[in-house]
Amino acid sequence: MDETLHTEGEGFHTEDMTISMGPQHPSTHGVLRFVVKTDGEVMREAIPDVGYLHRSIEKIGEKVTWHGYVPYTDRADYLAAMFANQGFCMAAEKLAGIEVARRGEFCRVIACELNRIASHLIAVGTFGQDIGAITPFIHALRERETINDLMEEICGARLTYNYIRIGGVGYDITPGTCDRITQFLDHFEPIVDEYNRLLSYNKIFIERLAHVTPITREDAFQYNIVGPNLRACGLKWDIRRDIPYSVYPELEFNIPVGTGEKGTLGDCYDRYMVRMEEMQESCKILRQCLKTLPKGPAIAKVARKFKPPAGEVYIRIESARGDMGFYVVSDGSEYPYRVRIRTGSFTAMSIIDKISRGIMVADLVALIASLDVDAPEIDR
Amino acid sequence: MTAVGEYIKDITETVTTIFEGMAVTFSHFVRRPSTIQYPDRIPKPVQEMLPLRYRGILEVDMDICTGCLACERVCPISCITIGIEMNKETKQRMFTHFDIDICKCMYCGLCAEACPTGSIRHSQEFEGACYNPAGLVRHFVTEPVLLYKPKKGGETEPTLAKKVEIGLKYLDEFATPDKGGGEGAAEG
Amino acid sequence: MQQLVDQLIQEGYFEGVPKDFVYTGFMVLVALLVLSFFVAPLAGITSWLERRVWARIQSRVGPNRVGPQGILQWLADGIKNLLKEDIIPTAADKRLFALAPYVVFVGFFATFVVIPFGSQLIVADLNIGILYLLAITSLVVVGILMAGWSSNNKWSLLGGMRSAAQIVSYEIPAGLALLTIVFAAGTLSMQGIIKAQGWAPWDWLLFYNPFTFAAFFLYFTAALAEGNRTPFDIPEAESELVAGYVTEYSGMRFLFFFFAEWGNLYVIGAIATTLFLGGWQIPPITDHPVLVGILQFIVFFLKAYLWVFVAMWVRGTLPRVRVDQLMSLCWKYMVPLSFICLLGTAAWMVIWPQGNRVASFVMFLIGVAILGLFFRRVRFQIRHAQPVLYWKPYI
Repeated sequence: MDETLHTEGEGFHTEDMTISMGPQHPSTHGVLRFVVKTDGEVMREAIPDVGYLHRSIEKIGEKVTWHGYVPYTDRADYLAAMFANQGFCMAAEKLAGIEVARRGEFCRVIACELNRIASHLIAVGTFGQDIGAITPFIHALRERETINDLMEEICGARLTYNYIRIGGVGYDITPGTCDRITQFLDHFEPIVDEYNRLLSYNKIFIERLAHVTPITREDAFQYNIVGPNLRACGLKWDIRRDIPYSVYPELEFNIPVGTGEKGTLGDCYDRYMVRMEEMQESCKILRQCLKTLPKGPAIAKVARKFKPPAGEVYIRIESARGDMGFYVVSDGSEYPYRVRIRTGSFTAMSIIDKISRGIMVADLVALIASLDVDAPEIDR
Repeated sequence: MTAVGEYIKDITETVTTIFEGMAVTFSHFVRRPSTIQYPDRIPKPVQEMLPLRYRGILEVDMDICTGCLACERVCPISCITIGIEMNKETKQRMFTHFDIDICKCMYCGLCAEACPTGSIRHSQEFEGACYNPAGLVRHFVTEPVLLYKPKKGGETEPTLAKKVEIGLKYLDEFATPDKGGGEGAAEG
Repeated sequence: MQQLVDQLIQEGYFEGVPKDFVYTGFMVLVALLVLSFFVAPLAGITSWLERRVWARIQSRVGPNRVGPQGILQWLADGIKNLLKEDIIPTAADKRLFALAPYVVFVGFFATFVVIPFGSQLIVADLNIGILYLLAITSLVVVGILMAGWSSNNKWSLLGGMRSAAQIVSYEIPAGLALLTIVFAAGTLSMQGIIKAQGWAPWDWLLFYNPFTFAAFFLYFTAALAEGNRTPFDIPEAESELVAGYVTEYSGMRFLFFFFAEWGNLYVIGAIATTLFLGGWQIPPITDHPVLVGILQFIVFFLKAYLWVFVAMWVRGTLPRVRVDQLMSLCWKYMVPLSFICLLGTAAWMVIWPQGNRVASFVMFLIGVAILGLFFRRVRFQIRHAQPVLYWKPYI
């Protein structure tokens, strides 16, 4: 915004207003805090202040057994707990050279993609809520509730699953559950269209998001933006396809990218639409998995006293919030020597300061929602 | 002319998309609400509607607990504390306490999997609210009890046999609720 | 009313009391009665209904425990809020802080003076009824600005400033849309406008010509903005400004703001009904004065409540606009369009000074067609999503 407003008039002194947005604020998902400097409604800068939800999950990794750490990884990102489960288990498997049971791999993909849908539903639902539409949020949560029920059936928990174990999955997916997942998909796909008609194509919604805080491809590289936020910049980069893991190479799916159809490439609307389309792609993956679910055990034989050989490993997986990295060091003992989790939300937070200058307070809310940052994942 | 066209297009788009959104919301007036009116206005208690694998508050059947301490060892947060003492007169090992701190428990299910007899298991119970954190520590041993010794060739005493059966069935069903999951799923 | 008081004075009930005092006393008494037995339950039940309507839109149930179907929820909420501690922040401007809710409340309550519930049932049929309405509703913005400023909270301040900008801007399209009707009806009095219409829909000013039809929607949109309703609820925008100008309020003071908001919803509906939808006009089926009065009241009440329902439904559907978009919507779209409506109606009246019955009827048919199209879309939504149907309005 123009600086002339500031110095207008002789001796007429105006100051920026410093507002503390959060940690208790309705639209900072979880406990985030922004120190916001505004000139009326216009933002001068918004500095993220992280650390309110730090639970030292990485340090705990050094104190519990390899098996015992899996439930803790759930808490790293409680909206998409399955991915952290998988990341850590893959790291442990790679260290010990364990071949994962094939049926277990499919079970993992089914659970992860269900979880991806659930996480994206929260993302787009709260997006609507932050923009002021109260209904889509509840509709999204309604569908997520069905996924939670399915998860409860698969592994007994609704949010912190502890489902994926070293060597496979804890419990097999039963035929009855398969049927119910298919039922859910049949029900869910029209609901996504309905959701689009209700919110995504709404002119007010588009006007709120189009052209708002676009991230250029260069910025995305420099700030290490990952996941749906990166794909919204028009870059086709998905760990599932480019650094394949699990059984993803056998499955067919598209990678939705931002097109800038309603505004600038990489704006909030693109980030929103990428998530909507990813949910549909996840449905496709789920259908394929359910069709080709192989026979056999769901978990490989792993010693109860798991002691991988000394060494270090870095695992990348595509979580709902992008590239999630697990750097695990083993010294050959019963406990990991070091666990480091690298998450997409943390890097997404770092770009907020850069792109939030000159936007309005209402846009900052849209920006935070569009990056789908998740406080537990930032602080860990 | 294009400016006027844009102007009219803006108006028509706004009106039509709002029209569409209103139709979506109006259609919800004749849809069934998905609310479950917990806790009173439901056909049957939620506990009975939960799936078999549901991981609720832990319960222990002391009659079939062997005192192997597998659960205590495997618990990542050490919320299970077990005390076993040798009774000097009878020369038998007895439980002095078996406490589970529900405050700490994160319902990961590792202990239930580790148990050889299925004596520690997740119930379908989840309503654990109480006025005092001390009340959330579940004491399963009120007076010293003997450890269970599995007999070779199966349990003979009828009451215990029933309990052992329940425990083993739990272990079995927890992994595969509707029997033979592996093969059945592949067919489907 | 006046006759009754005169009669009482003549019969010597108020010996030695000046006549003006008696009149004022009775006015206050009537106002209190109306407030406690009509406006308060109206706002309360509107709040309950709003929650139920939202709930059904969102696949929920809503409050259904207090009283039959939860209809007494508002009483429970009111009692709860009355019993709450009255917190005034230390740094707040205490006098203004305490005064603000009442200013807002007065701004809303005073509008009831000119709302015609029946041909006889009106407090004062002012000959400048519409001007009075426009003037008195502006009082609300003063209250909101006071609340925002005196709270000494930055979110509140932002909310108050947004509100001021919003209400001041939207007065113009609302006023112009009302003027369109004033043109068509040829009077400023509320009763006069209703008398210019008939009971049949094609006699309503809504279908008078295409311009009044458009003016209705312009008015309704602008009124939503003036009433701080979604999609224009930016002054209290929950996700942006915490709670906007009511952030620091709690207990009964907080309730007063929402009392005014929900009551205001009904006022919006009542004005729309009066100006566009034929007000209390009923078909000539009876001559009995009491029966006619009751029927008129029911017809008026239901018509007004229909628009209250629409406002709730809109709130459940639309996202919120941004501050600058709010302004551009007002100045770039609504003000020019309402001018077109005004001039169009003026031209129409030059061509057909007595109105055009055929055009009215055609407009009526177009309205019905739009409604039909709407229900076709609703049917499409249901067929597409294949939900479990539940036709009963209660649960």
